[in-house]
Amino acid sequence: MALFTHDLHVLTGAYALDALEDSAEVERFARHLRRCQSCAAEVRGLREVATSLAYAAAAEPPPGLRERVLLLASQTRQLPPELNRHARQRWSLGGWLSRIPWLIWMPRLAAVTAAVAVTAAVVLAVTLSSTDQQLNTQRTQSAAIAGVLAAPDARTVSGTVKTGGTTTVVLSAIRHEVVVSTSGLVPLPAGRVYELWLITPAAAANRAGLLPGAVSGRTAPVLASGYAAGDVLGMTVEPAGGTAQPTTPVILELKLATGA
Amino acid sequence: MDQTNPESPALASVPPGGRGEPDLDRLLRRVARGDQPAFEAVYGQLCRPAYGVILRVLRDPAQSEEVAQEVLLEVWRTASRFDPAQGSAATWVLTIAHRRAIDRVRSAAAATEREQKTADFPISRDEVAEAVEASLDRERVQRCLGGLTDIQRESVTLAYYGGYTYRQVAALLGVTLAAIKTRIRDGLIRMRDCLGVS
Repeated sequence: MALFTHDLHVLTGAYALDALEDSAEVERFARHLRRCQSCAAEVRGLREVATSLAYAAAAEPPPGLRERVLLLASQTRQLPPELNRHARQRWSLGGWLSRIPWLIWMPRLAAVTAAVAVTAAVVLAVTLSSTDQQLNTQRTQSAAIAGVLAAPDARTVSGTVKTGGTTTVVLSAIRHEVVVSTSGLVPLPAGRVYELWLITPAAAANRAGLLPGAVSGRTAPVLASGYAAGDVLGMTVEPAGGTAQPTTPVILELKLATGA
Repeated sequence: MDQTNPESPALASVPPGGRGEPDLDRLLRRVARGDQPAFEAVYGQLCRPAYGVILRVLRDPAQSEEVAQEVLLEVWRTASRFDPAQGSAATWVLTIAHRRAIDRVRSAAAATEREQKTADFPISRDEVAEAVEASLDRERVQRCLGGLTDIQRESVTLAYYGGYTYRQVAALLGVTLAAIKTRIRDGLIRMRDCLGVS
């Protein structure tokens, strides 16, 4: 038993550096910590050493990060305080960190539920993307999309697509931009895409982008610029890559409310 | 069993220079009440070490930025769960940052399996030194790292900056598991005493 305890005790260092093997080992060690005051005190001290190592690695974050974090924070509801002081797993790897599902993070815009879905999709898109190039593009896009969502005149419109599914648009007349996301669209055969149009009152159709492939039935938001009051959002099915003008019947004609 | 004093309160209450701001804990409590200017101040004080440690572990700036964003939002969201009895505010935030980076490494590793097992070392002593700016904080950490034995130093940097588990560190350094656990712990205790003294 003494040997066993000692064996666990020497793991304080590895634990403080998050270097235990897996969550089972973390749980086992966390249990030990709750019984071993001196181990817990040692871990606290060693964690401060780890903090020094983090400070020694300090680096300037990319310039856009601050604005994005502050914006998302302003749209994110905070957790209430924990009234039960015996929630002891806070400091274990399998504890508070891994139990937080990322969905809870999704920002909430008061009263603009649809915008929440759009924002959620932005975060989802960024989370799911795999290559750097995708990430860079999406980051730039998400910043622009966040700009629309945060615009003082942002409003949400949604409508049903004739062939099935829903389209939700957040638009800002001030920014002349709209953000389009969809859910439940009918999957298209290979070589076909959903193309968006901003159709003017004079019935001119301006290209407004292609919908990306759906993830779990939703498409990541697409930003379209050049929106003017009175425009209607249109959607058609076109060959991959899109076309300059609609070549098939319009399956969505969504009147975009005039911004304030 | 061991000669070191596990209580060692000095370090926890006297963080290394550069984060001597005594009000970080207070700021974090204001953040828990939804105070956005307080959150901006916390961001200002902790974004560089948080991003830096994530970058050190992940290496990829785009991924690091993404993880840093998640971490900082998590700080906002879960600020009410910060418990000063468990450690300083900086440690709370930077622990989240390090764990998130590690989570990312391990889930990626699980996905791509062991192809790159013998790929390049993620960190070397020289690199630690080379990346260092002339800040007191860094100098002091470097000096204390320099006071470790080679194997202690490599164990600590491979585990923390490299994001390796102690078993992986043992394999990389060719020593037994029992030895590596002890090296990491002894190394950190020596660091703690070194940092706490100065």
